[in-house]
Amino acid sequence: MVTLFQMALAQTRSVSGRVTDQKTGEGLPGTTVLLKGTTNGASTDANGAFSLTIPDGNGTLVFSSVGYVPEEKIIGKETQFNVALTADIKQLNEVVVTALGIERDTRSLGYSTQQITAGQISQKSEPNVLNALQGKVSGVTITNSSGLPGSSTNINIRGITSLQGSNQPLFIVDGIPISNSLDRTNGGSLGTLGGAQTSNRALDIDPESIESINILKGPAAAALYGSRAASGAVIITTKSGRNANKKLEITVTSGYSLQQVYGIQKFQNDYGQGLNGTNLTSLPAAGGVYGDINTGSTASWGPRFGTTPTIANGLLLGDGSLLPYQAYPDNIKDYFRTGHLLTNGVSLRGGNAEQNFILSVNNTNQKGIAEYNDLQRLNIQLGGNTTLLNKVKAGASVNFINSDQLGSAIGNGSSAFGTLVSIPRSYDLQGLPYINPTTGRSVFFTGTDNPRWNRQYVTTTSNLMRFISVANVSYDVTPWLNVLYRAGLDTYTDRRKGVFTPGAARVPTGQVLDQVYFRSEFTGDLIATLKKDNLFTDGFNASLLLGQQVNSRRAQTVTSRADNLGVAGFPNSSVGATFSNGTGETSSLRRLLGYYGQLDLSYRNYLYLTLTGRVDQSSTLPRNNNTFFYPSVSAAVSLTDALHIESDLLSYAKLKGAVAQVGKDTDPYSLATTYNVASFGNNVANLNFPFNGVGGFTLGDTQGNPNLRPEFTRSYEAGIVVGFFKNRVTLDATYFYQTSRDQILNLTTPATTGFQQRVANAGRLDNKGIEALLTVTPVQTANFKWDVTANYTRIRTRVVELTDGVTRASIDGNAFTGTIPSIVVDQPYGVIVGNKKATSPDGKYLINPNTGLFVPEVAGEIIADPNFKWQAGLTNTFTYKGVNLSFLVDTNQGGDVVSFTNNFYKSAGALAETGVDRDQPRVIPGVIANTDGTYRPNNIQVSAQDYWRSFGLQSELGVYDATVYRLREVSIGYALPKALLSKLPFGAVSFSLSGRNLLYYAPNANFDPELNTQGAGNIRGLDLQGPPNARTYGANIRFTL
Amino acid sequence: MKYSLFFRYATAGAMLLSAASCKDYLGNNLDPNNPQVVPPGAILTNLEAHTAFVTTNTIGRVSELFMQHYAGVAGQPASYDTYAIRGEFDNEWQFDLYAGSLADAQNIITNGAQNGPAYTGIAKLIKAYNFAFVTDVWGDVPYSQALQGSAILQPRFDKQEDIYKGNTALNIQSLFDLVRDGLKDLDQPAGTTIPTSADDLIYGGRLANWRKFGNTLLLKFALQISKKDPTLATAVIKEVLAKGSANYISDNADDFQLTFGTSVGNQNPFYSFNGPANNGSLATPLGNRPLEQMASRRFIDSLNLRNDPRLPQFYTTSPTNAAAVTTAFGIFTGYNNGSNAGIPAAANRSRYNTYIVGTSGEAPVRMLTNFQTKFILAEAALALNSGENAQTRFTEAITASMTKAGVPTATITAYLANPVNQPYVTLSGSIEHQRNQIITQKWIALLGNGYEAWNDYRRTGYPRLAPVDNPSSDSPVIPQRFFYTLTEISSNSNNVPNPRPNITDRVWWAN
Repeated sequence: MVTLFQMALAQTRSVSGRVTDQKTGEGLPGTTVLLKGTTNGASTDANGAFSLTIPDGNGTLVFSSVGYVPEEKIIGKETQFNVALTADIKQLNEVVVTALGIERDTRSLGYSTQQITAGQISQKSEPNVLNALQGKVSGVTITNSSGLPGSSTNINIRGITSLQGSNQPLFIVDGIPISNSLDRTNGGSLGTLGGAQTSNRALDIDPESIESINILKGPAAAALYGSRAASGAVIITTKSGRNANKKLEITVTSGYSLQQVYGIQKFQNDYGQGLNGTNLTSLPAAGGVYGDINTGSTASWGPRFGTTPTIANGLLLGDGSLLPYQAYPDNIKDYFRTGHLLTNGVSLRGGNAEQNFILSVNNTNQKGIAEYNDLQRLNIQLGGNTTLLNKVKAGASVNFINSDQLGSAIGNGSSAFGTLVSIPRSYDLQGLPYINPTTGRSVFFTGTDNPRWNRQYVTTTSNLMRFISVANVSYDVTPWLNVLYRAGLDTYTDRRKGVFTPGAARVPTGQVLDQVYFRSEFTGDLIATLKKDNLFTDGFNASLLLGQQVNSRRAQTVTSRADNLGVAGFPNSSVGATFSNGTGETSSLRRLLGYYGQLDLSYRNYLYLTLTGRVDQSSTLPRNNNTFFYPSVSAAVSLTDALHIESDLLSYAKLKGAVAQVGKDTDPYSLATTYNVASFGNNVANLNFPFNGVGGFTLGDTQGNPNLRPEFTRSYEAGIVVGFFKNRVTLDATYFYQTSRDQILNLTTPATTGFQQRVANAGRLDNKGIEALLTVTPVQTANFKWDVTANYTRIRTRVVELTDGVTRASIDGNAFTGTIPSIVVDQPYGVIVGNKKATSPDGKYLINPNTGLFVPEVAGEIIADPNFKWQAGLTNTFTYKGVNLSFLVDTNQGGDVVSFTNNFYKSAGALAETGVDRDQPRVIPGVIANTDGTYRPNNIQVSAQDYWRSFGLQSELGVYDATVYRLREVSIGYALPKALLSKLPFGAVSFSLSGRNLLYYAPNANFDPELNTQGAGNIRGLDLQGPPNARTYGANIRFTL
Repeated sequence: MKYSLFFRYATAGAMLLSAASCKDYLGNNLDPNNPQVVPPGAILTNLEAHTAFVTTNTIGRVSELFMQHYAGVAGQPASYDTYAIRGEFDNEWQFDLYAGSLADAQNIITNGAQNGPAYTGIAKLIKAYNFAFVTDVWGDVPYSQALQGSAILQPRFDKQEDIYKGNTALNIQSLFDLVRDGLKDLDQPAGTTIPTSADDLIYGGRLANWRKFGNTLLLKFALQISKKDPTLATAVIKEVLAKGSANYISDNADDFQLTFGTSVGNQNPFYSFNGPANNGSLATPLGNRPLEQMASRRFIDSLNLRNDPRLPQFYTTSPTNAAAVTTAFGIFTGYNNGSNAGIPAAANRSRYNTYIVGTSGEAPVRMLTNFQTKFILAEAALALNSGENAQTRFTEAITASMTKAGVPTATITAYLANPVNQPYVTLSGSIEHQRNQIITQKWIALLGNGYEAWNDYRRTGYPRLAPVDNPSSDSPVIPQRFFYTLTEISSNSNNVPNPRPNITDRVWWAN
């Protein structure tokens, strides 16, 4: 027996050992140990240990683990192998989280994704995670609306796909969809002009709590999510205790930043209040008092500073006294304050891959660049995972968020920022009284509010309580079958209060608007995963996922609106005299059942094919049309592996491609035509029911459609990933083409049909583009490393058709007659239709022969295209020992912005350019029509005032090229060396200084053109006298215990 | 092992269960926020208010400026007052008229079976009033094919002549016949579904008043087309007169007018826009655009010249200032329409008085009145051989207007008797001269209803208003119509008349 046993030993033998991370010395679980040239192998256990039985004789063991450089060891006589793997410099095959939380090796993906790590977004002096992504992701356009705290940020992945629906991507946190809605305040009688800028709800995710973000860029990547991810998906994975390595780790982070207003116009300081060189203040005010500056003009076309005061120029008043008259060069700038951003966080993590927990608390406190514009956010996260003895895995996390926002009214007209354009250069905004101490009302020019008063007394507060809870249970029924159930609930209540203090120009009698927004979304997924390696033949692996999803979204908004406030300065609806206008409740419930499957096939780790299919059943579509199917297919091939190319020059090459279709349902209650409580008019006069106590209804302006069909977006993409010089240079480039047809639209109909719109399947929108990501490591030594990351995005969208006879439609939510963000056939999406100066047939401006000024404008012309020609971002990171310096420069090329702000300042003679040669007459370049049909050059001189004012507010002469280059982000960090730490109680200590928006250069605009007053949504390219941007810089510390 | 077995069955069971329980999960998709059926009275209330609103909001303001009843001094009204109206009135075309009051009127008519003849009769009359409004303002417009929703997505533009007079070949019902249809409905047994004081804001459910309104509409329409078809006009007027004065508006109490409210959102649009009548409260202005309009100097001068006692009822007085005019009724400060001159300080401006805006915005919007009827009959007696005495009707008209404006009866009697005023109150001279006298008085009486004054002006050329001081190059003279709106041009492009008429082109009945 003994002999026999020994004989057996002679033929095979056992080798064992442990694989560790060279840097940390920790065991590396899941490392593949393979006898080279065979399929004989093993995986390391949780501690990195392995053992393997091999035939006697010579051979080589290959140790490979994702994210590490593979190692080979000749076996020889050794039986014990302790191997330390070094991390791969360029993780071309990192593991990313894809649709439904499925972890995939990037090399197997046929579609585009881009991973953002915690280090790229945490401690960047930016509380909104979307802003922290700016300039870092190819194929993605991110625009913040202003520098105010909590202002919303627009994100479009691969352009616009839906003509009227949301084009924001789907946000997924730890596997469940969460809301990134804007819940725009419908500011009482004033619609979108009424309230403050509201946040996009992704703001509620604290950047500190994020482990990674993976951006699924197209329908192919997101096909399993179905309809809601037609605009891509942002997959956020929060930190967990999984990597805590058994010990209890406490991480403390703290940051303090300062914010300053940035990007406002340059002003002239030679001329002050008045018109035609005369100050009009000299007339006595109502009380017979001379020299009340608020009775004069809001423009700065008055006398030059230093002019001898006379009765004629208005500087000598009727009672013989002198009008104080001097420049206040910083009267606009000083309206803003230095903002503060304080963030503090503590996180406790512990455990291992099987049992772990995390508890983290993060607090953000922001005082914005303008008074009464603040944000406070508290995030508490509690999560844990466990593997039970019976191998059932369970995990759960609860995120509690409390976001409080205080904001002033924005937008054109009498808002805190809109009235800044009515400040003459000689107006001491900070020194003059802004409130009447007796009445509490604004002291300013009649008919508009003092910006300081409005900022304080026309405000919106938002108090949001949110829970994002996820629980999941999974079980390996057999080694090849896993069943997972995951349920998630994202629910929040946002209690808002909008206050118009009596006297406010927009609502003179005062208004209190209390609104409660309740939103709740439940998602449950039951997923079975079947896996089989070496199916049919060696190296052919297959996995099949089958799942079912239940999704339910509830919304309720309760509004109480009190008008005619009887007590000023007591913002409670109890003092209102009229209650019914706009008071009411809106609720909705939509449900979706989805059934989906994904089949992944791979061959020898170089050929990959993924097929997906999903059937959705939606509550919002007609019963007989509510079930729809859509498939996707994607493939990838690693050429270097397939062709056994082993070259230091070409280290890696992969081709990828995908075709996908996603279907989409519609909003609830689109099938029937309903009656609404009647309400009509505009911002200058309106009528709301009840009318003198009597109710009134009107047939809705949108005709419902009981025959709706789901809409489909189809996408094609193809790309390459290549690595050179041992992957020190890599390029990931993708071309995509998307077409959305038969969209469910509120289609403009001629109003003469009796309806404004009808719900219908119509239209086609095409989208194509290139996205590329280049990474280079030019220098890498033991102590010093220089990394460069560059991304490039170029997208073209075109509205191909609407419906027969309809050539254009306005985008929902547009605010202005004469400047209308529109959908126009054969044009890019979102062009702005407005007034154009009339021209002669050869394109020269037509001039009125009597006045020397422009003839009236032609309405209904396309004046601006807000779509960028291309965008790019460039990050340089230098690492020297513990010191880390990184800076990000990005640019948007092209894209127009209509700036009401700038045009008002121009017309008011406040801009620097309007002060140049003001006493010189000038001639508008253009032509005058002769009676015989020919044209002669204009030679009529006009004053500087008439010249600048003639440009108007809304014509194409008020459109600016938004091209901008920006130093978006700079950070310098220092991590204390291990040697020093060993004497201290800390596990790690790092300091950093960070700055955002430090510099910009806009060659064709005299202000920072990255503004979007209407906030996140489909309306882009409008600066409606909104708040300006902010520059942020601060210091951060992080240490672990 | 036991555990794993248990879980195997449990998961299988859970999958089956979740698949089975989904049957009714999707629900009924019924809108909980907006009803699919409402009583006709709730629609009528809105229909009446909306009809009054549109004549007084933007189009009302603009026609008041065109007619120099009022002056624009800043913002949009200043542009309108130089006839720069390009690209405007889309809201009125879309929201207020076609997809607003017209759609609601049509809706009551379409659901006639459940609404009953009283409601459909009223809806037809209001529909006729609003379609006349639309064609008077824009000329050729969608009419016979309009308001049919998805059934006709691109409605044809009917000629104004066909709208007023009908066209059998094109299946176009005349406005006259539409009114007659409405009157026929009102003559039917009303049944139990009838308007009441709770839902009929104008006549409180008194169907007799609605009949009077319908017949008076016929008079108005007849006069409107009288220049083009005097025979038809005379026939219609005689048809109405034959029914007797009990069947058309013949007393101020019969006026087709809607009284507004005093709270925000219920106020007369003139008030909402331009603020309070009382200058003393300018420090706390209540209007949304309190500084953009003021009294017209030309209107003040016209009334001052005529010693007209309505002047202080129409306009507020002002403190003494350089631009003021001193009259027998006090000091008034106006502004010359379209002037480039300096604008009087806010506190010095005369504005609409309570007759137009009320003390808190409650003043009625007067759409078709007793005095208007009398003026129509005076002109018909003068020029259309209606068989009545023109002077009698003319005197009744002036008296009705002055009474309505709040002038004491004794003052009216004295005014009419004063020999100095005879050139204004006694018809004399040629028929054209007399027509000028009638329309000029009508123009004064119609303060606040610029639409009707503009109709008369375009039809007759009276009163002889000079164009404003600095007309824009859109139009050197008082416009004859509005441009078609951009949304209709872009969404009904195949039917909008091509070439599109200019605002200087006369509509059919003014030619």
